[in-house]
Amino acid sequence: MITRVETLSPQQNTENLIACSGCDLLYARQDLQVGEFARCDRCSQVVQTCKPLSIDRSLAAVLAGLVLLLISLCLPFLSLSRSGIESTISVLDAVVSLWDSDMRWLGLMTLGFIVLLPLIRLLLLSWVLWSIRFEHKARQATRVAFRWSVQIEPWAMADIFMVGVVVSLVKISSLANLEAGLAFWSLLALVGVMVIVQMTLCHDTVWNKLEERT
Amino acid sequence: MNARDAGLKVCSTCGVLQSLDSDVPCRRCGARVHSRKVHSLQRTWAFLIVGMLAYIPANVFPIMMTKSFTGDRSDTIFSGVMALTDSGSHFVAFIIFFASIVIPVAKFVIVSSLALSIQFNWDTSLRTRHRLHHLTELIGRWSMIDVFVVAVLAALIQLGAILTIIPGVGINAFALSVVFTMLAASSLDPRLLWDGEKDVY
Repeated sequence: MITRVETLSPQQNTENLIACSGCDLLYARQDLQVGEFARCDRCSQVVQTCKPLSIDRSLAAVLAGLVLLLISLCLPFLSLSRSGIESTISVLDAVVSLWDSDMRWLGLMTLGFIVLLPLIRLLLLSWVLWSIRFEHKARQATRVAFRWSVQIEPWAMADIFMVGVVVSLVKISSLANLEAGLAFWSLLALVGVMVIVQMTLCHDTVWNKLEERT
Repeated sequence: MNARDAGLKVCSTCGVLQSLDSDVPCRRCGARVHSRKVHSLQRTWAFLIVGMLAYIPANVFPIMMTKSFTGDRSDTIFSGVMALTDSGSHFVAFIIFFASIVIPVAKFVIVSSLALSIQFNWDTSLRTRHRLHHLTELIGRWSMIDVFVVAVLAALIQLGAILTIIPGVGINAFALSVVFTMLAASSLDPRLLWDGEKDVY
């Protein structure tokens, strides 16, 4: 059971305190067992987590994610044929073709949301987790990297893109024959892997480890 | 007791507490720390109004033009949904309807009423309002589905005279609208809701 802090002595060490990010209520830091988490009892925001084997698991998932993302960028994504004419595109081709046909905004947005931001996020996370896992000395840069990877998160939209792709497939299934390429499946797998990253990555653990090693 | 009442402010990225009147960045992650998001309501309103304005051309102008030898057609968001229903893809039509019409409109209503509720100290359940805010942050990004649909179709379908798909102006406006409402929702500081709390909850 999480306990609220009602009075504070001036000598109180702030390291033993946590504040709910949703409603600013002050709590005493808990000694959580592995696998437990604590919620704010006023606004139900999760305030403290302690996920099992977080570093190992999320590093594994992040590395898998990087491989999958690189695969999905280069290999054929979709191919389409109608009346003997065939066209096959990879994700990068799609961006280039949008750019070339004067749809620069749409091309840039696609590039940013589904290629660059997910890639940056995965690179930052793999760097941070790698340096924790192999006990490199943590530098300020590593912490900044982790902060950024947290802030980028809502803007990396590979998952939404995949729903968009499936919808487009349905939309044109009557107009042409479509075939999903390898990149399609690896991007789909990436979405799954990102969910695993989300589930296994424990921000509290990462921040604590980053702080220990300075 | 709130952190602010205890003379503390919390880093929104990494959770380290520091004194309310210290001016330095967070000692752990280097982020600038504010007890409440700076100009939260002003920013929320500004982003939200831009988002709502952009939503008008997004619905008026076509988002996608289809050119084929059987004839040209251009679709707005709504007529695209209708076309999907007509072709029997009810489930997909529902997804697009939900992502492009229900979610944006719901976000306009929810975010603006949350901002008003803070400004005028409304007496509605804080838990409900907090949940609504959480929900808008969570589902807002899914509105982008339609943008990606148009991007994929336009990039993929370049079969010359047989079939070509060209994105319309509407889709740019729609993407802007989604981005700005996402910014509006994330500028709104949920802690402001709880600041107005009466002692009983």
